[in-house]
Amino acid sequence: MFRTLWSTLYGLLVDDGQLAIGALVALAITWGIAYAGGDGGRDVTGWVLLVMVLGLVVANLYRAGVDVRRRVSSAQR
Amino acid sequence: MADNSVVDPLTLALNATPAFVASAVEFVEATTIVLAVGVTRGWRAPLIGTIAATATLAVVVATVGVALVTIVPEHLLKGVVGALLLLFGLRWLRKAVLRFAGIVAIHDEELVYQRELAELRAKGLKRNEFDWVGFVIAFKAVLLEGTEVAFIVIAFGAAGGAALVSATIAAIVAGIVVIAIGAALRQPLTMVPENWLKFGVGAMLCSFGVFWFAEALGMEWPGDALSIPFVVASFLGASWLAVRMLRALLPQGAEVEARNV
Repeated sequence: MFRTLWSTLYGLLVDDGQLAIGALVALAITWGIAYAGGDGGRDVTGWVLLVMVLGLVVANLYRAGVDVRRRVSSAQR
Repeated sequence: MADNSVVDPLTLALNATPAFVASAVEFVEATTIVLAVGVTRGWRAPLIGTIAATATLAVVVATVGVALVTIVPEHLLKGVVGALLLLFGLRWLRKAVLRFAGIVAIHDEELVYQRELAELRAKGLKRNEFDWVGFVIAFKAVLLEGTEVAFIVIAFGAAGGAALVSATIAAIVAGIVVIAIGAALRQPLTMVPENWLKFGVGAMLCSFGVFWFAEALGMEWPGDALSIPFVVASFLGASWLAVRMLRALLPQGAEVEARNV
């Protein structure tokens, strides 16, 4: 039952493991900045998180595209 | 969370809109399967299955949602919900971008409907017996798609009591609209631009995730909720760039070739 619950929750939140891990790391870095950076750090956390996640999305999709191109070209050979 | 009695109309609209659109997408998928069951095996069992699943989900939202909003401290709830929304939104956004770029096939409700019809016809039906196959398939479909609706309602309702009510009402209205159209047409709702909706809602979910997580850490966004449209536009812009990048990387035929790999 716990395995079913876990797989349902995992499927609900994760499409690509690397993207999910990257997002969690970005959240952790943001949390670190907020607590270590004082008031100044706290005021930029949202922007830092936004920039990190946007970069993560583009990088992850680029990697996915390169993977598909490699698979397609190796299958054609 | 916060003061539950005072929630401004902008916050309510911001909670209701993504809850409505995201719920409508999920209801389209559930309605397609229930329609296929009803057309092939009769309507009694799938309708009972749908009602049973809806009741189960209502209990989940009522207990988990209300308990979360009333018991868990505001900043902790915003942080957890923000993180979950970000993960959930990234999943939708990534899939929508890959579909627009032709790397993943567009979700085809007509195809899903025809496949369900063929599978259900193959299973046959005994007369004068309650159709447990139809009940279970409808129950599972509505429960699975509805779980995502429940998650969305609870997440957007986390902003406070009024927000939970507005998100719940938005989801119920989305369900009524989709089911009414499906029942009137008696065919899958292929006219719904599902990928566009998932693209937009994915960006909105990610934006709320970033917004709430930063708020949970103590940040004050310029203009408060007014900064959300800017964050949404950033996600939409980056995703659009990603679509262009993937199309440049994999020109013509990537979808067909990728399927054959």
